Amino acid sequence: MSAEIEEILKRYQSYPNVAGIIILDPFAIPIKTTMDYTLTVHYAAVVHTLAAKAAKMVSSLDANNELMTIRLRTKQHEVVIVPSESYIIIVVQKPGE
Amino acid sequence: MSKIYLKAMEEVVQRNMENTNRIMEQAQGYVVSENVTDTLLHTSFDLTTAQGIVKHMHASFLRLAQSGVRDIDPEDSLCFLRVRTRKFEFLVAPEQYFTVTAVL
Repeated sequence: MSAEIEEILKRYQSYPNVAGIIILDPFAIPIKTTMDYTLTVHYAAVVHTLAAKAAKMVSSLDANNELMTIRLRTKQHEVVIVPSESYIIIVVQKPGE
Repeated sequence: MSKIYLKAMEEVVQRNMENTNRIMEQAQGYVVSENVTDTLLHTSFDLTTAQGIVKHMHASFLRLAQSGVRDIDPEDSLCFLRVRTRKFEFLVAPEQYFTVTAVL
């Protein structure tokens, strides 16, 4: 199963617009990353807070609803966050113009 | 509504009329709030829902996202935010004086 994951990661990493992929465990510790470590840890800290806050916000707006993904479009990147019970996936893309 | 904000809003609406119409066809509604005081300016929802969106999304989550983005890269800034949930999707666009959210 791990080989499959590696393959999928490698395939997505090779897309021209993808700057990096980070997979976090539920405690915001990076278990897999394609970016350098300092940046990864930085992203992990920020995204973890954001994902937790978003999940709480969604459930307070509507108790039956749940969070699926968050997309942060900034001037230089697009960050896609997919939270889940046992991991958080972060993909950083450079949007092509 | 103060005249400055009304005018700023009208300008942005005119510029993006095509996009706006395209999105509003699919959208369930919209909420516009003022940035500085987080007051509700305009909405197509009922007041309670709209106030909830302004309070939770605009005032707290959007600010957190903006500060997170600047934390990672001080020169970067948030342009747009999409929160996808099981039932619908929030498209949040912070502008200079106000913030627009469309609920898809």
